[in-house]
Amino acid sequence: MPKNVKQLILVSAIVLFGFGGIYGLSNYIEPRSVRMPEAYQDADLAIRGKSLKGWTLGSEGLLADWYWMWSLQYIGNKIVNSNLEEINLDDLRSLNPKLLHPLLDNAAELDPKFLAVYSYAATVLPAVDAKLAIELTEKGIRENPEAWRLHQYLGYVYWRMKDYENAARVYEEGSRITGAPPFMRQMVAAMKTQGGSRETAREIYLQMRDQAEDQQSRENAELRLLELDALDELGAINAALKAAAERTGKCPASLRQIVPSLREVKLPGGRAFRVDSNGDLADPLGFPYRLTPEDCRASLNETTRIPKQLD
Amino acid sequence: MQTETSDAGTLGRIATIARNTFREAIRDRILYNLVAFALLITVAAVILGDLTDGHQARTTVNLGLFAILIFGVFISIFVGVSLVSKEIEKRTLFSIFSKPVSRTEFVIGKYLGLCFTVGVNVLIMGSGVTVALAFVGGLGLLAPAWSAIYLIFLELTIIIAIATLFSTFSSPSLSALLTFLIFIIGHLSSSLRELATGFASGIATIVFETLYFLLPNLGLFTFRTEAANGLMPNSAMLLGGTLYAVVYAIIVLAVAVLIFSRRDFK
Repeated sequence: MPKNVKQLILVSAIVLFGFGGIYGLSNYIEPRSVRMPEAYQDADLAIRGKSLKGWTLGSEGLLADWYWMWSLQYIGNKIVNSNLEEINLDDLRSLNPKLLHPLLDNAAELDPKFLAVYSYAATVLPAVDAKLAIELTEKGIRENPEAWRLHQYLGYVYWRMKDYENAARVYEEGSRITGAPPFMRQMVAAMKTQGGSRETAREIYLQMRDQAEDQQSRENAELRLLELDALDELGAINAALKAAAERTGKCPASLRQIVPSLREVKLPGGRAFRVDSNGDLADPLGFPYRLTPEDCRASLNETTRIPKQLD
Repeated sequence: MQTETSDAGTLGRIATIARNTFREAIRDRILYNLVAFALLITVAAVILGDLTDGHQARTTVNLGLFAILIFGVFISIFVGVSLVSKEIEKRTLFSIFSKPVSRTEFVIGKYLGLCFTVGVNVLIMGSGVTVALAFVGGLGLLAPAWSAIYLIFLELTIIIAIATLFSTFSSPSLSALLTFLIFIIGHLSSSLRELATGFASGIATIVFETLYFLLPNLGLFTFRTEAANGLMPNSAMLLGGTLYAVVYAIIVLAVAVLIFSRRDFK
């Protein structure tokens, strides 16, 4: 056999058996490797943003971007990996997102003009620690006195805490800034007279959805608006159920039975009730409402993504 | 192929070529990078105290190990890709092959010589990390750090093998680029496997699974963050990793020898 053919066979055998070995080794090592525990991503941040200033050779903005992106990924991954059937947007403490504030704080320290950081802090951080959310948003206001939007965010945080007095004060301060839209002034009145009303909530979330600078805040506001729509619908459905029960002396067997009586009901914004392909009353996302015969009341289906916290 | 020689002679000739490769690397001032490394690690050890909020040792390990990897990769790539081309350029290859040295011995000798050079570099840089750790009072992280350094060295032996392979048939600049790309992809190969599982198409899954096994899985040697947190690699990582690096290097060098044996230098 010629020498070069012999060599080719030898090398082919080495490659073939070698990769066979690599296959086995890869499968053996990978699952046995020592890796950082799941909770590693929640370990304290080793570096403070304030200390990094000057060390980034003028690239503070870039590093702020990096912290900002990290904070988005951090919360996003927490939610995705939580495997919870329902995420309570008002209380994310069960996800243990203790790095959220340091990450946002570092981003804000490195680039104090980075308004998206404060927006995110105001919309998501209150679900972890409202006090820290207020501190960070107030820091944003100090650094960006011309940004009326930060007053809107801070007003929102106070409103979520049902502190309508402070919310009105913050909206008023924001409304005096040049360029602030008229709704800021309307919010002052709304907070003073009907802080806890559904109309006020709807107005706040509409503004937040339309002006959100990041996807997560926008989605959050959209879900809240759907929740308000569902609350309006549930109010009407429960009233119809009560009327039917009083009329017949028993609770209707299904929500389909009250559909005709709901045709006359006017929902805010001229919306109509949704009926799915099975003829069941459905929430704004198309999931059928659930009837509990014991108390003759309707509620949101457990599988819907619409949050159930505002009422 | 050159004349067949006895096994003892083969080992001797491989050792001679390896020794010469090491000497040449020293003559080329490869070890000068250690000055830069020493500066980096000293500055880190002295200054990081203010920056890290009391996590000096951890950051020293993180920074030190990262620097060892990067310096090691650059040496492996830039010296590795010129292993053969330089000999052709200087026409020293012809005088080597006029002696009873086979091309197989030449490729293996060059590879081992560079591994030794990089090994010495890594050893000195590791000692630098040790001194820095002693300075910041973080000697508790010494064992994890050295385990990680050993894994980095294994990773570098694979990179050197790949650089050697490319140097047998490609120009130094293209070889450097290709080796660097494989270094990057090698660190992402686990993602290839995850990607493979996400495909509905069976063919796509097979293609990505195959790529995962063909490309070096450098993620197996990544233990820097874990070491900085005081974790120790287990035997599966150390022994399995060693075996993986040896087998992978043998495969790559076998292909390199095959290509190099068929090259015509006239």
